[in-house]
Amino acid sequence: MWLAILGLILGVSLGLLTDIRIPPEYANYLSIAVLASLDTLFGGIRAHLQQVYDDKVFVSGFFFNILLAAGLAFLGVHLGVDLYLAAIFAFGVRLFQNIAVIRRILLSKWAEKKEIRESV
Amino acid sequence: MKKPSSRKQGKVSKSIVFSLVFLVLGFILSYSYSNSLLAEPSEENFLSSDFEKEERYREELIEQLERNKTLREEMQVKQEELQNYESSFSDGAEAVSDMATEAEKLRRYVGLMPVEGTGLKIVLEDGEYNGQSANPNNYIVHESHVFQVIHELYISGAEAIAVNGQRIHANSTIICTGPVIEVDGVQYPAPFTIEAIGKPDVLSASFELSGGVLDQLVNDNIVVTMDEGLAIQMPALLSES
Repeated sequence: MWLAILGLILGVSLGLLTDIRIPPEYANYLSIAVLASLDTLFGGIRAHLQQVYDDKVFVSGFFFNILLAAGLAFLGVHLGVDLYLAAIFAFGVRLFQNIAVIRRILLSKWAEKKEIRESV
Repeated sequence: MKKPSSRKQGKVSKSIVFSLVFLVLGFILSYSYSNSLLAEPSEENFLSSDFEKEERYREELIEQLERNKTLREEMQVKQEELQNYESSFSDGAEAVSDMATEAEKLRRYVGLMPVEGTGLKIVLEDGEYNGQSANPNNYIVHESHVFQVIHELYISGAEAIAVNGQRIHANSTIICTGPVIEVDGVQYPAPFTIEAIGKPDVLSASFELSGGVLDQLVNDNIVVTMDEGLAIQMPALLSES
């Protein structure tokens, strides 16, 4: 757990300190990557709460989704179709769904706990 | 025994993988954040509405027009300055060209330049030997005769004079050394050819003045031949003969 937080801090500082600037036409890829990573993260949390969590699925999904989203955006730019919109849409919807599921699970857990406490 | 160790191993690898995942996540988030911070101003410009754009362009245009105006005024001032300068320059150029012509003239007088022009050519030859006078001094050309001729020519306005092709200048010396005369250290025997550049008619008239140089020379039994209006070339003073 501590290692994960350390990695997060390291990544944040690395991202803030890097001076490499990507050209504006590739900014889309970055936004999609952000979205994909967030989606996978919340998907992982949801899976953990639903007790169906799997390391391999989570890790592979994390990297694969990022790459897939970026690749899709790249393809879209070269085909003249705004494919990155599809990625944004899909990830955005999934993100909201995941967060909604997490909220419900947490709510139900909280309610359970409350009930138990009241019964006790 | 085996199970816990493998579980422990799995935990370690899991945390490593998690740290890697979070590293990538943090990197992407912070990188896009710093990137968007940088891109924001340009994006704002890009997304501003047409109306704002128009306004801005108009302002820029007005600014440019004002700047043009001030620049034009400045240019006019500069142009006036230039004109003044040019007129003064042309005055100066006239003065310079006057000076240059004067300098050339003076150089000719002094003998620093080869000159050519119409003028007079006088040849002084020793007189025929006759038995009546035993003294040869009575019929040979002396340096005083040459002097006389040169002085007369100078007085009557000769611009340049040469003796036997050697230019005479202000400090020239003409010395009698026995049968020859020495002009600036160069010996010449008779006959002596004295060339003068100037107005030929004036020179010849003053030379032939009755009781003048010609008569005196003739009195001294010297054979004088005179050519008028020839085109005469003279070397510069410093050139070797």
